[in-house]
Amino acid sequence: MQTLFVTAISRRRGAARIPPWRRLRRVALLATIICLVPAGLSYVRSIGGPHNISLGIASVEWMRAHGGNGVVSQIEDWYYTLTAPAKGGPPLKSLPQVGVAASGRYRPPPIKPLIHPALKGEGVWHAASAHAGPRPPVLLATFRSDPEYPQFVAGVAWIDSSRTHLDYVPGLAEPPKISHRGPAEVPHALRKRVVATFNGGFPLETSNAGLVYRGHTVASMVDGIATLVEYRDGRIDIVRWHGGSTGGPNIWFAKQNLPPIVYEGRLNPNLSDGPKWGATVNNAVRVWRSGLGIDPHGNLIYVAANYQTVGSLAKILQRAGAVRALELDINEDWTSFITYRRPGAVEPSNLLPEMFRQPTRYLTPDERDFFAVYSKGKAGG
Amino acid sequence: MRAPRRISPAARARRALLADLVAAIVLAAIVLHLAAGLGVIAFFGVPVLLVGLLWIGVERLLARGRPRRRRAR
Repeated sequence: MQTLFVTAISRRRGAARIPPWRRLRRVALLATIICLVPAGLSYVRSIGGPHNISLGIASVEWMRAHGGNGVVSQIEDWYYTLTAPAKGGPPLKSLPQVGVAASGRYRPPPIKPLIHPALKGEGVWHAASAHAGPRPPVLLATFRSDPEYPQFVAGVAWIDSSRTHLDYVPGLAEPPKISHRGPAEVPHALRKRVVATFNGGFPLETSNAGLVYRGHTVASMVDGIATLVEYRDGRIDIVRWHGGSTGGPNIWFAKQNLPPIVYEGRLNPNLSDGPKWGATVNNAVRVWRSGLGIDPHGNLIYVAANYQTVGSLAKILQRAGAVRALELDINEDWTSFITYRRPGAVEPSNLLPEMFRQPTRYLTPDERDFFAVYSKGKAGG
Repeated sequence: MRAPRRISPAARARRALLADLVAAIVLAAIVLHLAAGLGVIAFFGVPVLLVGLLWIGVERLLARGRPRRRRAR
């Protein structure tokens, strides 16, 4: 680049003074090059690390993590608004096949369909694994979630808390600062017991929320924020946090993400309010969204669907039986719920067929943090 | 008193380049200090650089296509 400028000078040897606008352009270009040197070095260092995401996504993630979150979110907002689906459309003739046909005797009540006539199997729970026995720890269901958009299908997973153990797994890049990061994938030693994995919440930077990992406060907890908590005795809950900035002695992990979207059976009255829903796309933008709730018996309910707003996601969780719920990560790149149909993390399968990420996602190191569900009983069952 | 030294056009161009470089460093330092992060700098910097280089390229192509005037002696 420098050669270009010097060559330009030597060619003008003997010529009159350089016009001021050309000098201004030269200053601007030189300043741009100087600014881009540290940016380029940082980008190359970041992209050169281990990844299981495409270069495009990794580039966007780098930009988000380096002060560009507002720019990225604004562009996503415009894109999703321009490509928002139209209401109505031809009705669906069938639902995607989820889980396996094997039926156990024990299951929560089916989800009442919203659109009539109901499609075959709509809202009916299916075991996630054929080898799960009479009381499968994970059940899956689908249903059409919005009468105004009859083509939208929500995927729902029900996780029996008495038969499973939930673990928080840090990713390669999220959370950014953590000791004992671990393998960022389902550990090989635990794969014989893994029954499901699902995405975590927003990155800490965009959620303005806290995290406690293995009893240590990684990021200061924020009062009033929805929090998925695992206590040291293994109990799981979703609470509105009021414990101050640190975790407390009985907390094993606590992951916060935005205000609760369902609390004590009711929808958050501020679901259409903007800024409190994170430094990301607007809460009313229709995009892949996921959420996690808890039913009155302490079992977890995970929900994911495309073209959801924060409000519609909360309604799905409520309909699926959640009494308290929080929003998890959004966008097609980050929304995953994966079940393993056979013990040993064999035959991984996405909750919904149109989920963008490969079902092997959490069997290799992943960028973001996630949750792994392990069976308490025999392997895979 | 010494008579003012005659500065050759090449020296003048070199001095101008040096002055511009200093100005660019100062400008870059201000931008790096004020920007929210390197991501924002890359987002705006890459298109600015591409447009600038394209501009110079087009200018030089046009200049090459133009008939050269003979320099007056």
